[in-house]
Amino acid sequence: MSGIRGIVAAVGRTALQFAADLGGLAILFLRVLRTIPRLDIYELIRAAERFGWQSAPIIGLTAFFTGGIMVMQSLPYVEQLQAMRLLPWAASFATLREVGPVLIGLMFSGRVGSNNTAELGTMVVTEQVDALRLLAIDPYDLLIAPRFVAMVAMMVCLTIVGDAGAVIGAMVTARAMAGMEMFQFIQLMREQIHLADLASGLVKSGFFGAGIAVVSCYYGLATSGGAVGVGRAVNASVVASAVSIVVIDFAVTAVMGG
Amino acid sequence: MNAVIRRIARESRDFTALVIQAYVLLFRLRMRRAVVVRQAFELGNRSVVFIATTMSFIGLIMVLQSGYQAGRLIGDYSLLGPGYIQLLVREFAPTIGAMMLATRIGAGIAAELGSMTVTEQIDALRLCGAEPVEELVVPRLAACLVMVPALIILAGLFAEIAGMFAARLVFNVPFATFFELRLLTSGDVIVGAVKAMLFGAVIPLVSAFAGLSATRGSEGVGQATTRAVIHTSISIIFLDFAVNVLLYPVYAR
Amino acid sequence: MIEFRGLSKRFGDRPPVLEDIDLQIPTGSVQFVIGPSGAGKSVLMKHVVGLVRADSGRVLVDGEDVTDYGEKALFKVREKVGFVFQQATLLDGLDVLDNVALAIAKRFHVKRKVARERAMTELERMHLQPFAHRFPADLGAGVKKRAAIARAIALDPRYLVYDEPTTGLDPIAARRVDRLIGELKGRGVTQIVVSHDLASILGVADRIAMLHKARVHIEGTPDALRASADPVIRQFLSGSPVGPM
Repeated sequence: MSGIRGIVAAVGRTALQFAADLGGLAILFLRVLRTIPRLDIYELIRAAERFGWQSAPIIGLTAFFTGGIMVMQSLPYVEQLQAMRLLPWAASFATLREVGPVLIGLMFSGRVGSNNTAELGTMVVTEQVDALRLLAIDPYDLLIAPRFVAMVAMMVCLTIVGDAGAVIGAMVTARAMAGMEMFQFIQLMREQIHLADLASGLVKSGFFGAGIAVVSCYYGLATSGGAVGVGRAVNASVVASAVSIVVIDFAVTAVMGG
Repeated sequence: MNAVIRRIARESRDFTALVIQAYVLLFRLRMRRAVVVRQAFELGNRSVVFIATTMSFIGLIMVLQSGYQAGRLIGDYSLLGPGYIQLLVREFAPTIGAMMLATRIGAGIAAELGSMTVTEQIDALRLCGAEPVEELVVPRLAACLVMVPALIILAGLFAEIAGMFAARLVFNVPFATFFELRLLTSGDVIVGAVKAMLFGAVIPLVSAFAGLSATRGSEGVGQATTRAVIHTSISIIFLDFAVNVLLYPVYAR
Repeated sequence: MIEFRGLSKRFGDRPPVLEDIDLQIPTGSVQFVIGPSGAGKSVLMKHVVGLVRADSGRVLVDGEDVTDYGEKALFKVREKVGFVFQQATLLDGLDVLDNVALAIAKRFHVKRKVARERAMTELERMHLQPFAHRFPADLGAGVKKRAAIARAIALDPRYLVYDEPTTGLDPIAARRVDRLIGELKGRGVTQIVVSHDLASILGVADRIAMLHKARVHIEGTPDALRASADPVIRQFLSGSPVGPM
């Protein structure tokens, strides 16, 4: 009997924790929105630079391989239907709209999001955030809101970079595995891929950036317990970011109608 | 630039040493069963809800996207199901599932071992005559080699079920039409299995390495966790690419 | 003047950290709050700037009751009362100059460039200009502490609270901080120092309040303390492990 009670208690605890986190995330998001008009521009630029340079190489690399992977997955179908013309479209369409933003989001969350949580968490446990409040500086002005805007902006920029990388990776792989010349690939792509495909991917990335920003800042600010606590916060942050990417993706996809 | 190259070389060498040591111990079955089982529970069972949630959403998204396109371009949804499950088995379940597990399991291992490193528990372990790789890394490796593929199968299952519901509710494709295995070949299954097993090894090894190389100071554990997630993710993508290239003849018929 | 009236505070189920504290800190003085570790000294001072909220009792700053103030109202109080943390708490991501400049820019609503110039002046006054472009992670405890004090002073506070300013510093650095406190007194700043550094206490204080068992055990001048026959005070001054504490 206590076994069942134990399970119910555990589920209840998890549910309450989940609800508390969800509420906390919502509150943080609203507070960020209210703070945006008076955020610190200097910090915004610094953050944007840091986030961009930190993750550009890793995202470029990921995108290159992703492009290649998508070509290799599309190739069997295209060959069977004897519709080689469709290869660029088949490979790029899903990449630009879906796979690209999601993988770039996961990479961004892993690199920038977790770093952000670690930085904020360290500041909390070393009382730097308290010091700011005592200096009559609102941590949201100086730290949170700039990082939020920077992450949204950088996710969009990095997705553009990533899309380019994916196309290059796709071209190289198409040449190597299917003998399609690169200029041919580009030609067919330009015919078949529309701006709307690229744009919808970028919009998604923007939303992912917002989600990653809110999640990473939330867990950073809620850190407690020294170096070990910071590690725990980063752990929770990346997991929650991954879930938020997926949920936001679903919401945006459903609303935009593909 | 020179310093960066030397650091990468040094880390690669240390990592390779760790991998070799771990596998040697693994094959000699040098591990305590109880520890492995507990790790399997921690890493495996505790990740089920996470995988179920994320992969269900992924399934919904993928079917929605493909469905919208199929409707617009061909007007026929009969290929939706068979194509979807094929891609799921040989590509998306292993890769996206592993990327998700990299955040859950990988960050967890790195945070745990990283905390032990900065609080000098690892040093204390050595002083007691125990070998950290044997005590800490090998059990996690063994547990992941079993649990990660199992979770990936689960991931595929949830994505498939979610996809079936999406197809039924949004595009009116009956379950039976959607769940069609006629395109699925043994080649697809082999590729998926190879990827799952590879990723099952990569996640614990890369994350444990990151955790054990955590630096002192309040940032050390956080940075180790970041490194674990990033290095694991990039390894997964790269290995996926490599397997796709090498095993192309297997699944392209 | 800063005043505590009947202040009490406890954390969770543990015995109260502060019980019925009555203390007045006159303007312009250097007041030390001393006592064994964990006696509640830091907690008491954090009440003044709203980092900790009292369970009962009142806190008054210049006659204003700030006990129940919200964050917005506390901003005004924090402009008057500077606080130097035990850990110095400079921002890791900025160099020393920018740390001070940021505080100036935000408080006085000036541009970064102007703030940097003012910050440099302040650093020069404290002989810290060699460290202006170094980052906190590379600096020793003494320099960081003085930089944190520079940041607090640059904002022209009427009161300055120090949380264990000389703990962890070598004797020379500690005496530098003492000298600084003396200089600031000359500039009219009211200072409250939480400390258990005997040399500082007996060297710089105008008045001393000792906390023991969550209450004010004694309050008076350094001479009065030295002359006291109270066993608790005698034990504290002699540093002996034997005694009522």
